Amino acid sequence: MNFDIEFALEIVPRVLQGIENTIIVSAVSFVGATALGFFWEMLRRSHWLMRAIAQFIIDAIRSTPALVQVYFLFFVLPYYGVKLPAMFVGIFGLSFYFSGYISEVFKAGIDTIPAGQSQAAQSLGLGRVDTVIFVIAPQMLRNVAAPLGSYSVYILLSTPLLALLGVPEMLGSALDVASEAYRFAEPTFVSGVLFLILNLIVVAGVALFERRLGLRTQPH
Amino acid sequence: MSFFEIMRGIYSGFGVTMNVTILALVYAIPFAVVAGVLQHFSTGTWRWVVTATIEFWRSSPILVLLYAFYYSLPAFGIYLSAFSVGALVLGLNAGAYGSQSIRAALQALDRGQCEAGLALGLSRFTVLRLIELPQAIVAMIPTFINQTIQLIKGTSLVSLLTLSDMTFRAGELFALTYDPVRIYSGLLLAYLIICYPVTILGRYLEKTLAKGRGASYEF
Repeated sequence: MNFDIEFALEIVPRVLQGIENTIIVSAVSFVGATALGFFWEMLRRSHWLMRAIAQFIIDAIRSTPALVQVYFLFFVLPYYGVKLPAMFVGIFGLSFYFSGYISEVFKAGIDTIPAGQSQAAQSLGLGRVDTVIFVIAPQMLRNVAAPLGSYSVYILLSTPLLALLGVPEMLGSALDVASEAYRFAEPTFVSGVLFLILNLIVVAGVALFERRLGLRTQPH
Repeated sequence: MSFFEIMRGIYSGFGVTMNVTILALVYAIPFAVVAGVLQHFSTGTWRWVVTATIEFWRSSPILVLLYAFYYSLPAFGIYLSAFSVGALVLGLNAGAYGSQSIRAALQALDRGQCEAGLALGLSRFTVLRLIELPQAIVAMIPTFINQTIQLIKGTSLVSLLTLSDMTFRAGELFALTYDPVRIYSGLLLAYLIICYPVTILGRYLEKTLAKGRGASYEF
């Protein structure tokens, strides 16, 4: 079987149809993972028992494959009668998986803030929540923006996992074309090239954003 | 089927998971060192070529790379087994990430290290081999461990190329018994048992190495 370039070009629009889902899934998963990651990190900085539990959850998330976590949710939830759209399950799975990594980003971001900041806030009579919102978070944002940018790229690169749940994102629509035409070489190749281009655009966007914030100190 | 039998069934794929991981490391480590060093030293067109190669392996989803290589290589007349393709793609992907750590570690070294070596009359290559690389490699041990975990987890994807690794075995058991709760909990546990100790080791080394480096600056 030879590589048919004409066929490859012909199917580009059909594979591109999945780009909308790819972008939605990455964007929502990124927001979900950031929120959940921040929650784990706050849990880790609270009560000692919570700290141990959160630490174990984070390490366990980081020690199991994203594919298996997504499969777990996809097959186990319906068994207990929870029927959700595949895309929702996939987004939840990716958010959960990356929250483990993003909590480490928040940890590093908060660790670099001098302890005097929260001590000063406490001596001014601010409560724990107010300290986090008004003193820690604004300073932390500057530290976490760059690593969060890289994680937005990693999340984009993990969205093809949803194709395995039957979500028609870019790999999914490529596989649909493939099974219709019974030619796998061209569709998978085309989706690879499209992902490469999309990723380069996102990387350039993240770099631009970091420069705007004046965060970029050394080249990529 | 008891939980013990399920775990035994899943671990019957352990050999494949380990073999893919080891072969992938054989691709990843040399690629990371060579690409990282080349990217650090090359300039102009060469730097562009090295960066493009690294970015190619880093910037596409692993799953898409696996499918594209598995299905496209035969179209170009190259016939490789699923095992070879899986290890090649996973290895070069991990190597591309690793090359960035090597380059960052080389860049982070004090310039005085290289200058002192040159002043002692060592050649540039000898300075790299005896002075710069050993320090860079020690500095990136925690990163290396984290990336090895990523690689072990990444091997779950080769189940989609019909290699009978642990994830594939779990799929088989699932088709046989339709007991998703115990089988997929078992699969999570199976990976956790392998990777959790390594995660803890990585965390510990990160702490101790950071301490060691901090101390050396106090002279």
